[in-house]
Amino acid sequence: MPIRNFSIIAHIDHGKSTLADRLLQETNAVSLREAKAQFLDSMDLERERGITIKASAVTVTWPYKGEDYELNFIDTPGHVDFAYEVSRALSACEGAILVVDSTQGIQAQTVANAYLAIGNGLTIIPVINKIDLPSADADGVAMEVEQVLGMPAEECVYVSAKTGQGIRELLNAVCEKLPGPPPPTTTKLRALIFDAKYDDYRGVVIYIRIFDGSLRLGDKIRMMGTGRTFPVTEVNRYTPFIQRIKALGTAQVGSICASIKTLADVRVGDTITLDNDPADEPLPGYEEPKQMVFCDFYPSSADATGGSGKKGDFEAMREAIEKLRINDASFTYEVQHSEALGFGFRCGFLGLLHMDIIQERLEREGSVEVVQTAPTVSYRILKTDGEEVEIHNPADLPDPGIISEIREPIVKVEVICPDECIGDLMKLCDARRGIFKGQRFLSKGRQILDYELPLAEIIYDFYDKLKSITRGYGTMDYELVEFRANRLAKVNILVNGDPVEALSTICHRDMAEQRSRVILQKLKEQIDRHQFEIPLQASVGGKVIARETIKSLRKNVIAKCYGGDISRKRKLLEKQKEGKKRMKQVGSVSIPQSAFLAILDQGD
Amino acid sequence: MEAATASSISLPQHGGGLLGIAAIAPTPGAHAVSGLYVHVPFCRHKCHYCDFYSFVDRDGRQEAYVAALERDIEASRAWLTEPLSTIFVGGGTPTLLEPLLLQRAMEAIGSLPRAADAEWTVEANPETVDAARADALVRSGVTRVSIGAQSFHPRHLETLERHHDPASVGRAAQFLRAAGIEDINLDLIFGIPGSSLEDWSADLEQVLGLSPTHVSCYNLTFEPNTPLEAKLRQGRIVKMDEELELGMLELARSILEGAGYTHYEISNWSKPGHECRHNLLYWLMGSWWGLGPSATAQVGRRRWKVVPRLGDWLAGPALGGAVDLEVPDEDTWVGEAFMMGLRLIDGMPRDRAESLLKMGLQGERRRRVIEQACARGHMAFDERGLRFSMRGLPLANEVIRELLAGKD
Repeated sequence: MPIRNFSIIAHIDHGKSTLADRLLQETNAVSLREAKAQFLDSMDLERERGITIKASAVTVTWPYKGEDYELNFIDTPGHVDFAYEVSRALSACEGAILVVDSTQGIQAQTVANAYLAIGNGLTIIPVINKIDLPSADADGVAMEVEQVLGMPAEECVYVSAKTGQGIRELLNAVCEKLPGPPPPTTTKLRALIFDAKYDDYRGVVIYIRIFDGSLRLGDKIRMMGTGRTFPVTEVNRYTPFIQRIKALGTAQVGSICASIKTLADVRVGDTITLDNDPADEPLPGYEEPKQMVFCDFYPSSADATGGSGKKGDFEAMREAIEKLRINDASFTYEVQHSEALGFGFRCGFLGLLHMDIIQERLEREGSVEVVQTAPTVSYRILKTDGEEVEIHNPADLPDPGIISEIREPIVKVEVICPDECIGDLMKLCDARRGIFKGQRFLSKGRQILDYELPLAEIIYDFYDKLKSITRGYGTMDYELVEFRANRLAKVNILVNGDPVEALSTICHRDMAEQRSRVILQKLKEQIDRHQFEIPLQASVGGKVIARETIKSLRKNVIAKCYGGDISRKRKLLEKQKEGKKRMKQVGSVSIPQSAFLAILDQGD
Repeated sequence: MEAATASSISLPQHGGGLLGIAAIAPTPGAHAVSGLYVHVPFCRHKCHYCDFYSFVDRDGRQEAYVAALERDIEASRAWLTEPLSTIFVGGGTPTLLEPLLLQRAMEAIGSLPRAADAEWTVEANPETVDAARADALVRSGVTRVSIGAQSFHPRHLETLERHHDPASVGRAAQFLRAAGIEDINLDLIFGIPGSSLEDWSADLEQVLGLSPTHVSCYNLTFEPNTPLEAKLRQGRIVKMDEELELGMLELARSILEGAGYTHYEISNWSKPGHECRHNLLYWLMGSWWGLGPSATAQVGRRRWKVVPRLGDWLAGPALGGAVDLEVPDEDTWVGEAFMMGLRLIDGMPRDRAESLLKMGLQGERRRRVIEQACARGHMAFDERGLRFSMRGLPLANEVIRELLAGKD
C-alpha cells in the first residue's frame, strides 16, 4: 500500500485542528458523533488555548485512482516557540499541508512554518481554508501565497474544514502531489523517535517513524544515542483509536511501549535500532533545541527563609518537572537556590509562550503552585582575560571590573501588519532599541516589517503591545541572529540599604534610569509599610540612579476588643502573622513574593 | 459551625447538631463566674458599620425573646451560684424592648444572685431612652447606661447610617439622671470619612458638656461584610488619612485628660473609679456567662457562642445550643491573655506578665518579642509591669500578633 507521511502546518487559529478532524471524518476514521471537536489535541491546556502542543500520529486509508493509500499524519504545534517540536514532526514527513485562513491571509507564522518545512525538504500543498465564510477572499490569499512563498496561486486547494467542502480534493492531492517515502538505505532497523509521552499504566509511549527495516512485537531494541536496550511489549497505531498491531514496516508511523519506566531513558530525536542487528549509523540528528528565555520556578509554599523548610514541595516540584521534561525535551532545568525564594529551579525555554505553558502544565499536571520570577535572556560575557562565559541570570554576572564586554542575543523580527499601523509599530520598535531592516509589500493594505531587536526587549510585553497597536491584526515571528555587544549594565536594587540579588536586572544603560524608576515604583506598591521608613534604591556600578521611599507604618491597632471578639480578633492577627511569615526577610524588611515578580511589568 | 482552630482542642460533637451548653460548660462550681453578658438582638435600624448580631424585628418576637431569656436564666442557675460582680446587657438595642418587656427582662436578670456593689450596664440608643424605660431600669437594679452617641454631627451620623437626633443624647442623659443613674458612658466614633479635626473637637466638647463618668472613643473600623466596608471597596467613601486619625486620638487624649478623665484602655476613658468593671473582666480574661442569641461566654478556658439565630435560639430547649466552641491550648491562651491585657494603658502587673511568660512552650520567644518592642521604645517592662508606650500603642497589633501562639 502506498504511504504518504505528512504534517499540517499553519499560523495559530487558521483551522489546523478542525482540518485534521475533517480529514479523519472524511476517511471514515471517526464518525461524526465520535469527532469530538479537535480530536487530536488531547490535553486540556491545548484545547483551552487553542494550541496544539504535542504531536500525535494518526493513520488512515484513502482510496485514490483504484488504490488504497496509507496516510499518516502528524499533528504539529502552531506557535513559533515550538519550532523545535515542529521540526521533529516535520523530520518524520515527506510533505506538509500549509493551511492559510482565507479571511486572515498570510501571517507571520505561516511564513515561518513554510520556511521550516521547505528547509526540511518537504513538499508543500498550500490550502486556503474557511472559504465558507462571507469575508473569505480565497483568490486574494492565494495570490499572497504566490507573492510571499513563491508557490503558484493555482496550486492552492480551496477548502472549508467546517463544511467539508474541498476535503476530498485535498486528500486526493495528498496522494498525488506528495512524494512517497524514500527507499530504505539499509535493511537494518532505523526508526526516528519524534515524540514520547508518559502513561501511568503503560510507562513511556514512544512515537516513531520507521525509515529503514521493520520492528516487531518482542524485538529487543537499542537506543543508538544512549545505548540502552529494551524489549518491545506493545506496537500500536492510531486510527485515531489505539490499535494493537504486531509490527511496523518501513516508512510507517506508530507508537511502541518497551517497559520503559522513566522518560529519562528516552531521548526525543534518538534513533531506535535492533539490539541483535544494529544499524551502523543513526539517522541524521535533530537540531538541539535552543533555550532563549530563562526564569526561576519556586514552589510557592516553600519556606522563604531558605532553611530546611518544607522539602516536600520542592521534591514534588522536581518530580513534576522531571515528568514534564520527558514530554517536552525542549526546556532545561537546574536546581537553583535563591536567598529570597528558597529552593527552586532555573529553567530555560524556547520562548515566552513556552514558558507560560510549562508553568501552567506544572501547576495543572503536577499539582504544584509555582512562583515564577521575571524572565531574562542569556548573556555572553567577555572577560578581560579573554574568557567568555554565558550567564542565564543577572545575579551570575561577574564583577564589573573583569568584564570587557556584555553581549546580548539579537533577533530578527518579522511583523505582518495593516498599513496604518506601520508608524506606531516603528515607534514601538525604536523605543525597544530596534534597528529598522526593511519594509515589504504583502498585499493590498498589508505590509511586512523587518527589524532587528534585542531579545531582552521583546520578552516582556512586546507581543501584547504589538497586538494592541494593530488591534489584533498584527502577527510576528522572530529568530536569533547573533549575540551582540552593547552598553549593558547590571541594575542593583537596594532595599533599606541591602542589595537584593533576586531583584537585580541587566538592561541598557540609556534605559536604566527609566526602568529602575518603574521597578522601584512597583516595589513600593508591593512591600507593606513597616514600623520604620524604608528607602528603595536602584544603582548601577555603585551609583544610585533612582530612589523611592516607603513611609513608616503609623497605625495598626484594634479599636474594639471585648469578650465576644477574642477568637475573631486573634484569628485576624494570626492571619497577619501568617502572611508575614511567607515573606522574605531582607535585613529587617519583609518582602512578599509578589514583589519579586513585580519587575516583570515594565509599565511603559 | 466554624471549627476550633488548630491550636485549640475540639470537643466531640454529636451528629452535626448543636452542642447543648450544659454539655460543654465546665462542671458547675468548677470556676467562679463573676460576670454575665446578655445579648438583645433587636435594632430599629441596622447601622452601616455594625457587625454585631442584630436586626430589625418585623415579626413581633420581643415577648418570645423575653420568655426564652427567662427560660435560659432558670437553666443557668447551677453555674451562677456566686454573686455576680458585673452584668452587661448589650445588643442590638436593649432599650428597644417595650417598657414592660424591658422590665420583665431586667427582673429576670436581677433574680440571679449578684453582689451588693455589682455594676450593671445596659446599652441604649439615645432615642429609645424615656422616663418609663429609665425608671424600669433603675427599679431592676441597673447602675450604668452606655449611650451610643457616635457623633453630634448629623452629616457624619448619616455616613454611618445612624438615624438619631444628636440632641436626643442630652435628653437621654437627663432622663437617666432623673431616674437615678449616675454612671453614664457615651460612645463616640472618630475617623468617619469626611470629618475634620474641628468636627471631632466639637464632638468631644459636646460630650464634656454632658459630663458622663465614662467615654469610649472608637476609631472607625471597616469590619468585613458591613455595608460601610462595601462602600469603601466600591470607592464610594474614602478612608481617612492615618495621620489625621492619629491626630484625633491625640486630641481625645488631651481634651479628655484635661477634663479629668483617665485613659485606661486603648479606646476608653473614665473618671477615676468609674472604669467599666465588666469590660475589665474581658481584658483580664476572667469567666463570664453569656445569654441570648450570639452571646459569647467564657468559663475557665472554655469559650463558646450561643447559637446566633434568634429563631433557633427561641425554638430551644433551654441552653440548647452553642457554636464556635473553643478550648484554647496553653500557648493560644497566653497569646490571648496578652492580646487582651495589653489593651489596658497600665498594661499588666509584672508578676502576671512573668507568670504568663512561664506558661506554654513559647515563653522565650515571647520574651524576645517584648525585649525588641522595648528596645524600639514601643513597650516598657519594669517594676510597674508590662505595657505599651504611647508611641507603641497605635502599633499594638505589630507586637501582639508576635505574642500570639506561633505555628512554627
